Amino acid sequence: MIEAGWLIAAVVSTMLSMGWFALCYPSHWKQVFPGHAGGPNTFMLKLLGRGFLLLSAVCCLAADHPSMAALVWIMLLAVAAMAVAMLLSRRPRWLRFICPPFFAVKG
Amino acid sequence: MFNSFRMSMGWVHTWLGLVLGFVLMICFFFGALSVFDREIDRWAIPDTRFEPQPMPSFDEVLKPAFDEMKPHPSDMAATQQRVIGDLPDPDTMPLKSLYAYTTHRDPVLRIGGEFGIPNEPKDPADDHLHVHGWATVNPTTGETLSDSALKIGSDWFYPMHFNLHLRWNMLGYWIVGVAALVMLAALVTGVIIHRKLFREFFTFRPWKHVLRSSLDLHNVTGVVALPFHFFFAFTALVIFATNIYLPLSHTTLKPLHEQHEKLEAERTGLPHEESGVAAPLASVDAMVAEAKHRWAERDMPGEVGYLFMDHIGDENSYVSIYRAGSDRVALVGEGIHFKASTGEVIREEPPRSVVASIDEFLTGLHLQHFEHWMLRWLYVFGGLLGAICIATGFILFVEKRKARHAKAGSQGSRIVDAMAVTTVTGMVIAAVSMLVANRILPADLAGKGQWEQSVFWWAWGLAFLHAAWRSSPVAKARSNPAWREQSWVLAVLSLLAVVMNWVTTGDHLVKTIFTDTYWAVAGVDLSLIATALIAIWAARKLGARAAETVKPKRKQSAQQNKQVNAYD
Repeated sequence: MIEAGWLIAAVVSTMLSMGWFALCYPSHWKQVFPGHAGGPNTFMLKLLGRGFLLLSAVCCLAADHPSMAALVWIMLLAVAAMAVAMLLSRRPRWLRFICPPFFAVKG
Repeated sequence: MFNSFRMSMGWVHTWLGLVLGFVLMICFFFGALSVFDREIDRWAIPDTRFEPQPMPSFDEVLKPAFDEMKPHPSDMAATQQRVIGDLPDPDTMPLKSLYAYTTHRDPVLRIGGEFGIPNEPKDPADDHLHVHGWATVNPTTGETLSDSALKIGSDWFYPMHFNLHLRWNMLGYWIVGVAALVMLAALVTGVIIHRKLFREFFTFRPWKHVLRSSLDLHNVTGVVALPFHFFFAFTALVIFATNIYLPLSHTTLKPLHEQHEKLEAERTGLPHEESGVAAPLASVDAMVAEAKHRWAERDMPGEVGYLFMDHIGDENSYVSIYRAGSDRVALVGEGIHFKASTGEVIREEPPRSVVASIDEFLTGLHLQHFEHWMLRWLYVFGGLLGAICIATGFILFVEKRKARHAKAGSQGSRIVDAMAVTTVTGMVIAAVSMLVANRILPADLAGKGQWEQSVFWWAWGLAFLHAAWRSSPVAKARSNPAWREQSWVLAVLSLLAVVMNWVTTGDHLVKTIFTDTYWAVAGVDLSLIATALIAIWAARKLGARAAETVKPKRKQSAQQNKQVNAYD
């Protein structure tokens, strides 16, 4: 049960991380905030993205043997990146939930 | 030949990818299915729909099963070709070695062994003459189950992804090996030619034209799962490298290999040859208990995954017991070897060296015997991403060239498109048709497995003929309606398989999920329903797109008619 909790935490943190990495790119930022004059705060987004990527690796290690955790983490990166790509193509505005106003810089 | 390095890499990527992409498509799709091969077996053989069992008692359950086991008729026939004179009566052949193998997902147990024969080989170099026997056993009762039912998951879909069922001179293994090598080359060249690897990491624009959107999907599926694609192609080569692709120890270095075997036997104390002195068998259950005790002492308690016995009935006989690697990326390991006649420990294998550990990890990550359901599903996802990457590669190839080919009167795009339909929708139709046939054909039909295999090949062949027959619009720079039509066929077949499973076994989804939970069957049914829904969605989308392309043309011709009328 505890393992399942760690794995859910790993999934959530990988998804958040990939979402923030995607928002670093002005083209994706515009998809999420079409009318916004400013752009992304790339420093903040990259910092959070890297932090949560590390957190997801820690969660995987807490859940499983290191050899298994490495595989779970690498595969989660693929799933999360694909999920974010699909969200951006179909429902880009949903990514606003992970992007508070202070992640933007004025245009 | 080319203006730049990138262009030459593009050529390599396109043409190697096209030629062997059809094989890679098979590897990825059936590889993804193989992640759940045992579960597909349970779906296909309803008599085995019970909970997975650990290795049963050898003394009480397995020994009687091994006593009943006979040399297999197919191996009798194969061995007869290799020996001088007639083989003896199979009932008189002594069992020389045996094995039992199970995983955490197996309700049934695979057992097998080698029967000794007195015949001389036709080829003097043929020094391993035995007749093999094998059987499937219900571990709770020891009853031998009929092997006439085809294990569709583990004996059909799984081998399909590494040998294509082309066994003549191991041709299938070699084709798949070349395809894996090409996959590695395609990954490297793909990274070189992708101009915006990071900038377009998350980019998929389905609203753009087919060429652009399929390129996006090709790039995204290739890049996000790049480590998965690389590792699976690489480890596929590693797994077969020593036995099939570079079998040095059985060819050039054979004398050295034999010498090494003897020295290894001296070093480990596991006899290489029989002594010729008969000896009884001590309790194997006691040996299993001792092995489990020793694993627990090493802080790795576990179940038996593999049990092996050599030189049966001889003073030199020994029993090897290996721990199942369900809790880590490994197969079986931590072997402990016992003297069969006394039960004393001959040898406990030491922890692996670094090199052996790396080899075990690489093999284990591909063969995935671990008990980690989330990772298993992530593997399916990775395999399907690989299949999408290759399928979109085919679409790209056709979309880039079909207008040019139409002008030139070439049939190139048409042929590639027909092949793409066959290896995308056609291949899935073949797999699902096999499942439908499995539920429609009576369980006691003689050679049922052969019938199922025939249905598989016929369905695939018909899908190819249909794709080729309907591909003429591609030669006029239009789309092949076979994509849409085969999607509808796939949807119908997938739903039919679920219904037929319910009708013939009574195992419907409410039962297998809620009232009498059995996830192996529920998972296959749910996957079939998901396949049907995706196929319906794809067919409707393709239908709408076809209608859109017809409308403007009608408008255009109506305008042209108006203009013509105006001149009249």
